Amino acid sequence: MKIKESKSRMLFRIVNVIILALICAVVILPIWNVIVTSFAEDKDVMGNAYLLWPRSLTLKNYLRVFKSGYMKGFVNSLYVAVAGTALSMLFTIPLGYALSQKQLLFRRQIMRIVTLTMVFDAGLMPLYVLVKSLGLINSTWSLIWPFAISTFNLIIVKNFMTSIPESLIESSKLDGCNDIMVLTKIVIPLSVPILSAVMLFYFVGYWNRYTEVVMFINSNEKYTLQVMLRAIVFQGDGSMGDGNIVYNNIKMAVMMLGMLPVLIIYPFVQRHFVSGLMLGGVKE
Amino acid sequence: MKKKTNIRVTIYKQRYLFIMLLPGLLWFIIFKYLTYGGLFLAFTDYGFRAKVSFVGIKNFQRLFQSAVFWNAFRNTIIISLCNIIFYFPIPLIVALMINELKSLTAKRSVQFLIYIPYFFSWVIVGAIFANILSPSSGVVNNILAAFGVEPVYFFASTKWFRAILIVSYIWRQMGYGAVIYVATLSTVDPQLYEAAAIDGCGRWKQMWHITLPSIKSTIITMLMLNLSHVLKIFEQVQVMYNSSVYSVSDVLQTYAYREGVLSGNIAYSTAVSLLVGIVSLILVLGTNQFSKKLLDDSIL
Repeated sequence: MKIKESKSRMLFRIVNVIILALICAVVILPIWNVIVTSFAEDKDVMGNAYLLWPRSLTLKNYLRVFKSGYMKGFVNSLYVAVAGTALSMLFTIPLGYALSQKQLLFRRQIMRIVTLTMVFDAGLMPLYVLVKSLGLINSTWSLIWPFAISTFNLIIVKNFMTSIPESLIESSKLDGCNDIMVLTKIVIPLSVPILSAVMLFYFVGYWNRYTEVVMFINSNEKYTLQVMLRAIVFQGDGSMGDGNIVYNNIKMAVMMLGMLPVLIIYPFVQRHFVSGLMLGGVKE
Repeated sequence: MKKKTNIRVTIYKQRYLFIMLLPGLLWFIIFKYLTYGGLFLAFTDYGFRAKVSFVGIKNFQRLFQSAVFWNAFRNTIIISLCNIIFYFPIPLIVALMINELKSLTAKRSVQFLIYIPYFFSWVIVGAIFANILSPSSGVVNNILAAFGVEPVYFFASTKWFRAILIVSYIWRQMGYGAVIYVATLSTVDPQLYEAAAIDGCGRWKQMWHITLPSIKSTIITMLMLNLSHVLKIFEQVQVMYNSSVYSVSDVLQTYAYREGVLSGNIAYSTAVSLLVGIVSLILVLGTNQFSKKLLDDSIL
C-alpha cells in the first residue's frame, strides 16, 4: 500500500518537473532567440529562419547600432532612468521613514492622503494639462517629476521601516541622534535589501516608460529608446540612416539594448525578492 | 491653552520628521491632487477654444451616444474578463507546482527565470510576439506551413488579436504573480501539514484544507489588484494594436488617448478617464468590502 502511494507520488513529481521545465522554456526561448539573432549575420536571418541555435556569431549588428541614432535614444533612456531613480529614492526614503514613525503628528491623515492615490487615478489628460502648465512639455524633466514617487514603492519602504525595532531608534536618540542621523546611520543601512529592490522597480519604471514619452516629448532628439524601438518593430521604420533594409538581426540588436540594463541589474537584486516583498505594500 | 502649547512642543520635537515629510507631501499635492482637480475639465470644453467655458454633462452625453465609446467599452470588458479568467489562476497553479519541487536551487531558479519578462516593457514584449508570429519568419507560421496552412498575419487578424493580447499578458505577468504566491506559501506552518497527514489527509486534501485557506487573503488581494486594473488596460494595447484591429482591440484608455492626444479633444478625453477612474474605484472598494465581510480581513 505504502509503496504504491510513493509510486504515484513519484509520477506526480516527474510530471510536475516536466511541466515546469516547459513553462521555463516558453519564457526563455523567445528571449534566447532575440539574443542569438542579434549576433547573426545578415545571410542567416534572411528568409524564414527562426534561430534558436547560433549559425554565426558577429558583432557587426551591434557596431551598426552603436553608430546609428538608436545610441542617442539609449543615452536618453539611461539619463532619465538614472536621474529619475536617484530623485525617486531622495523623495521616497525620507517620506517613508517619517511615515514609519508612530509618534508622527497627523500620521493617519497623511497616510490617507497617500493611500488614496493608489486606488484612484486621474488618468492621462489631467496629467498632460498639468505637465503643460508647469512648462515641462518637451523637457526631459517631464519624464521624471510626475513619476518621482510610486505610492506602491513608498508603502513597501514605509512598512519595512516600521518593522525595525523601536528600541534601536530610541536608544540612538538617547545618544543624541536626531531623526536625520537615525535615518542615515541606522535605518538606511538596515533597509539595504528593500531599498535595492525598490530602486530596481523605479529604474525599470523609468526605463520602460512609453506612452508618456510619446505624449510629453515631441522632438526626435529627446525620444527614449522604447519609442524608437516601437517605431522600428511596429512601424517598419528603417531609420538606420544608411538606406539599407533593416533585417531582424539589427532589430534584435536594438531590442537587446532595450533589455540590457534591466538584465544586468536584476540578478544582483533578485535575492531580495523574498518574504512577500510586494504584497507587504498593499496591506496597511 | 495647554493643549495648544503641547502641540507646539510636539511639532518642535518632530521638526526633523516634518522636514523629511515635506518634499514628498508637496509632490503628492502637486502631481496627484492637482490632477484630481484637473478632472474638472471633464465638465468644460477645454481643448479647442482659447476661452474655456463650463458645459455641464455635455461631454458625458456625447460619450454615451458614441458608438466608438461603446465598442471600446465592450472590448475593455471582454479583454479584461478573459485576462482575469485565463491569467488569474495560472500564477497560483505555477506557484503550487514550484512549491512541490524538492530542491531549493530548482525552486529559486524557476522563480528567477519566470520573473524576467515582468521587467520588459510592453514594447519589448510586443516586439517578441511580433517576431514569433511574423507571417514570413515567425516560428508559429513556420510550423503552420509544415502542415500546409497558409501564413496567418496574426497582428492584423481580428480573429486572433485578442488572443495575442491575453497570451502576451500571461507571458509577461505570470512570474510576478507566482513569486508572490511562493513567498506566501513559504509562510504556511509545516506543522499543519504534519498534523493533517497524521489525521490521514492525502496531498490533495491537504492542499484544499490547509494550503488554499492559508493563502486566501493573498489570493483575494491579487484578485483586487487585477480588478482595479480591469478598466485600465492600456499600454499593452497602445503598443501592439494597429488600425486593422481597432474593432476588436480599441479599449477605453486607447480611445481616450486618441481623442485627447491625437484629436486634441482634451475635455472629452478627461470625461472618459473620469468614468474609468470612478468605476475602478468602486470595483476596488467593492472587493475590499467583500473581503471584509467574507474573510474578516480588510485589504486596504
